[in-house]
Amino acid sequence: MAGFEELSKGVIGGNQAKVKELTQRLIDEGAEPLEIINQGLIAGMSIVGARFKNGEMFVPEVLMSAKAMGSGLEIVKPMIADADMPSIGKVLLGTVKGDLHDIGKNLVGMMLESGGFTVINLGIDIAPEQFVAAIKEHNPDILAMSALLTTTMLHMKDTIELLKEEGLNDKVQVIVGGAPISQDFADEVGAAGFAPDAASAVELCKRLLN
Amino acid sequence: MALLGGQCLSRTDIENIHEATLNILEDTGVSIGYQPALEAFRKAGARVKGERVYLSRKIVEEKIKEVPVKFTLHARNPEKNITVSRNSFLTAPGYGAPFVTDWNDEKRTASYADFENFAKLAGASKYLSMTGGNLVEPVDISDKIRHVMMQYACIINSDKCFMGSSYGQKKAEDSVKMAQILLGPEHKLDEKPALISLINTITPLVIDERQLGALMEYAKAGQACIVASLAMAGATSPASLAGTLAVQNAEILTGIVLAQIVRPGAPVVFGSTSSITEMKYGSLTIGAPETALIVTATAQMAAFYGIPCRAGGTLTDAKCVDAQAGWESMMNLLTAERSGINFVLHSAGILEYYMSMSYEKFIIDEEMLGMVLRFRRGIDVSSESLPLDMINKVGPGGHFLDQDHTFHTFKKEFWRPDICDRGTYDRWRTEGCLTAKEVAQKKYNNVLAEYQPTVLDPITDRQLKVFIDSL
Repeated sequence: MAGFEELSKGVIGGNQAKVKELTQRLIDEGAEPLEIINQGLIAGMSIVGARFKNGEMFVPEVLMSAKAMGSGLEIVKPMIADADMPSIGKVLLGTVKGDLHDIGKNLVGMMLESGGFTVINLGIDIAPEQFVAAIKEHNPDILAMSALLTTTMLHMKDTIELLKEEGLNDKVQVIVGGAPISQDFADEVGAAGFAPDAASAVELCKRLLN
Repeated sequence: MALLGGQCLSRTDIENIHEATLNILEDTGVSIGYQPALEAFRKAGARVKGERVYLSRKIVEEKIKEVPVKFTLHARNPEKNITVSRNSFLTAPGYGAPFVTDWNDEKRTASYADFENFAKLAGASKYLSMTGGNLVEPVDISDKIRHVMMQYACIINSDKCFMGSSYGQKKAEDSVKMAQILLGPEHKLDEKPALISLINTITPLVIDERQLGALMEYAKAGQACIVASLAMAGATSPASLAGTLAVQNAEILTGIVLAQIVRPGAPVVFGSTSSITEMKYGSLTIGAPETALIVTATAQMAAFYGIPCRAGGTLTDAKCVDAQAGWESMMNLLTAERSGINFVLHSAGILEYYMSMSYEKFIIDEEMLGMVLRFRRGIDVSSESLPLDMINKVGPGGHFLDQDHTFHTFKKEFWRPDICDRGTYDRWRTEGCLTAKEVAQKKYNNVLAEYQPTVLDPITDRQLKVFIDSL
């Protein structure tokens, strides 16, 4: 259907009003909800992802595209079962105990969402016990922990140890990030991965789930 | 006093940013995550709702008037005391980097041994005004005693002033106790402060428990604080630089007002490390021309309030000691000096947007500092520097190399480089084609091998150790 390409363009341009209008029109014209998602919304977002990787698009543009995609999804969502919603994996996200730095982590969350992941963002100042409880509740594929301070980053290790104690370390892969975090530190605390920035975090999660 | 060169805001611009700031403070407010601070604001008549504090124009204007325009920090060697004022240009090394980038451009976690080395380099420096604070984050020392161990390394390796810990009320209290032991029980620390500490806000419009606890403790003890904001324009503040200036202003003034509530006349510095977001990655960049504009505007806003200010430094995003590290660092250091910044943290060693310290960069930055300090000294115009008799005597076609005036003048008029190579190509070749980085490496190894810090008296040393052991 010709409308899909136009819908993709709306996503690429970050135009929420246009995406809403086109999504509604496609539904009215009898298009399959899953096709609207896959051939219109996600197709547009894939192009955004590729352009971002090439340095042709920038973070605020990607986020506006993600918002546009989201506004389309919202309309289609009630028409399909939750289990049929395309998602390439579930990521549980949070900043560790004692650390109130929110924004870098949120950026990672938004980039993951725009990359097709389902993200559960626990927020800031999350103790190991809270991470564990949330893993039991949500069953994520990946736990992503963030820290900005050298004093708080050690809680990443505490969380990983607790995961082992609870026997959850085989069920969820742990990744870590934040300004003072390095690959060496990730290896030392036994994390499955480390990403130096939000865009690489998306790549990392895709790699881990493959 | 040196004549200043840099301005980027008109008087009207400054007033508009100030008005926007007051609007943010009154309507949006700042999130204050510390009960005693909320209590203090409430008592001072501020509107407090939950953890949100709203400051009125009246409180802000009244409290700003209490801020001292200058104060002196006391070192263990009184000759190394420094006075922070609206006219000063004081410098301290890089602060808070968790990594060190080595000679081979490999990055590794910083250690206590690195901390001690940087304390020695700062102590030996002929240009740096202070030893500094968290020269690196020594991740090999446990969090419980890291703050006092860092302070101890500053004390033992240098007789200059140093900084206190900003990791909460208790650690600030420990820092003050260390300073009191160092200067002796007779020294009235609250009247003659020794410490200056870095209180960072969390942009946008948040100050956390740790930083507030430290701020209040230092204010209570009469010690100085830099209240600083690191806004990333486009991510943690508006993408417009004016909008970013208003947001950072609201945060800084909130901290400064709190210090004045705790202790009227508490020494404070108006600080900024704000810059823009690199939208390719969503990350901080500090080597940008926008950084230099924010440094300049920060100096102008602080001058408007009559408060000493801190911003700038040898700031770069480069990952190694290369040309990018050089040009970005010089832009941000010279801008700080030209625009009238009074205290420049991060004056030596920083690489990779505050993430890493480099020994070679430290030495090269000192060289830049030497150049900038010479620039600051300006041109002396007097009958002595306009030697008409000599010009007449030498006359057309003569030379000045063998004149008394030249002999007596050149050493004080010309700055001497330690790193810059000014010789001929052939001389440079025969001497081994050394790059600036190689010369810097040689120099820092020499300094570390030869530097003898002024010995601390053994009784004080023991008292400091006993105090650390008691924690």
